[in-house]
Amino acid sequence: MKLVIDENRCKGCNLCTQVCPYRIFRPGRRPNRKGVIVPELDRPERCTNCRLQGLYGRTLCGICQLTCPDQAIGWVRERPYEPLTMEVEY
Amino acid sequence: MSFDDWLRTDRLPHIWCSGCSNGTILNCTLAAVDAEGWDPDRTVFVSGIGCSSRAPGYIATDSLHTTHGRALAFATGVKLADPSLNVVVFTGDGDLAAIGGNHFIHACRRNIDLTVVCMNNLIYGMTGGQGSPTTPLGALSTTSPYGSSEPAFDLVALAVAAGANHVARWTAYHVREVQKAIQTGLRTPGLSFIEVRAGCPTNYGRKNRLREVTDMAEHFRTRSMVKAKFDRLVAEGRPIPPDTIVVGEFVRRALPAMGVAP
Ligand SMILES: Cc1ncc(C[n+]2csc(CCOP(=O)(O)OP(=O)(O)O)c2C)c(N)n1
Ligand code: SF4
Ligand code: SF4
Ligand code: SF4
Ligand SMILES: [Mg+2]
Repeated sequence: MKLVIDENRCKGCNLCTQVCPYRIFRPGRRPNRKGVIVPELDRPERCTNCRLQGLYGRTLCGICQLTCPDQAIGWVRERPYEPLTMEVEY
Repeated sequence: MSFDDWLRTDRLPHIWCSGCSNGTILNCTLAAVDAEGWDPDRTVFVSGIGCSSRAPGYIATDSLHTTHGRALAFATGVKLADPSLNVVVFTGDGDLAAIGGNHFIHACRRNIDLTVVCMNNLIYGMTGGQGSPTTPLGALSTTSPYGSSEPAFDLVALAVAAGANHVARWTAYHVREVQKAIQTGLRTPGLSFIEVRAGCPTNYGRKNRLREVTDMAEHFRTRSMVKAKFDRLVAEGRPIPPDTIVVGEFVRRALPAMGVAP
């Protein structure tokens, strides 16, 4: 699974940068098309949910998604992260 | 998590300000109804007027956005007309404790089978930051430019005294705890009251040295004290900082209730 921020919904409050235990969200630097400074993702493949959601069949952690006041955080299925899943999980 | 399935995605992004806790509390509530496996077709969300009361408009179930202070009166009607419906009320501190204060205590007294989520941002957010009955002593608002000189309502104590079957308080920083408290509320017959301390960066934070959204979250994290610890400190006669937010479950009981599904 791949962590994504929906740029259309995010309002740049930076709450996600505060709550993730891995500090995956970092305050962004440039405003987007709407003038919102959307956070950047720092090695999102470290996210517990990206790694283990498939294995457990349910959401793990998910604190950023529950906290995001603008419903902007979610996960999409994606191939490239899957080999990494095996490596990180020892 | 699939609380996304409960959202009216065509209505997003919502109108709430950047960093407003109302969005977070909406997430927690939807995660709770989803985890409890409630049927969207048998679930109704009711609210009054205020920023907080806009929440049902973003949910894909049937909902009622009613008049200021009257959410509980409308919700009582819905629940008594069809007790098999699941009814959740969103309300603000002004909506619930000022104009709707009497509905609040009488809904608790009747112990109607509702789950009431109060987004308590300590201010009238929608109308520009006037003081509410929960504005803390000394806090700045547009109607208390030199600091509020009135004591604030303790909504939890009010609900406990008036007879609600389940009463809890958390903050918007404690997302999992809020979700769990709401789940407990959904399962408890009778009135369940969950006060969630909410950040209003635009009208409260800006005036009260919590300008950044993250400042308010940090304030919630550092000032909260779980009820067990608070009770212990009180018993030991130890000092408690005046701005402490006591969080946790305050009551869970089985007093006779109204409108419970047969
Ligand atoms: C009968 C009536 N009186 C006054 C108002 C104006 N009014 C609209 S919202 C509001 C206060 C809302 O405060 P609160 O319930 O705390 O909601 P918040 O916006 O803070 O979430 C008031 C006084 C109204 N809409 N209707
Ligand atoms: S919490 Fe949500 S709205 Fe706020 S910056 Fe992060 S993604 Fe954007
Ligand atoms: S789910 Fe948890 S670990 Fe993953 S990005 Fe969100 S807060 Fe971080
Ligand atoms: S004014 Fe306050 S309560 Fe209303 S949307 Fe903005 S931050 Fe939220
Ligand atoms: Mg308010």
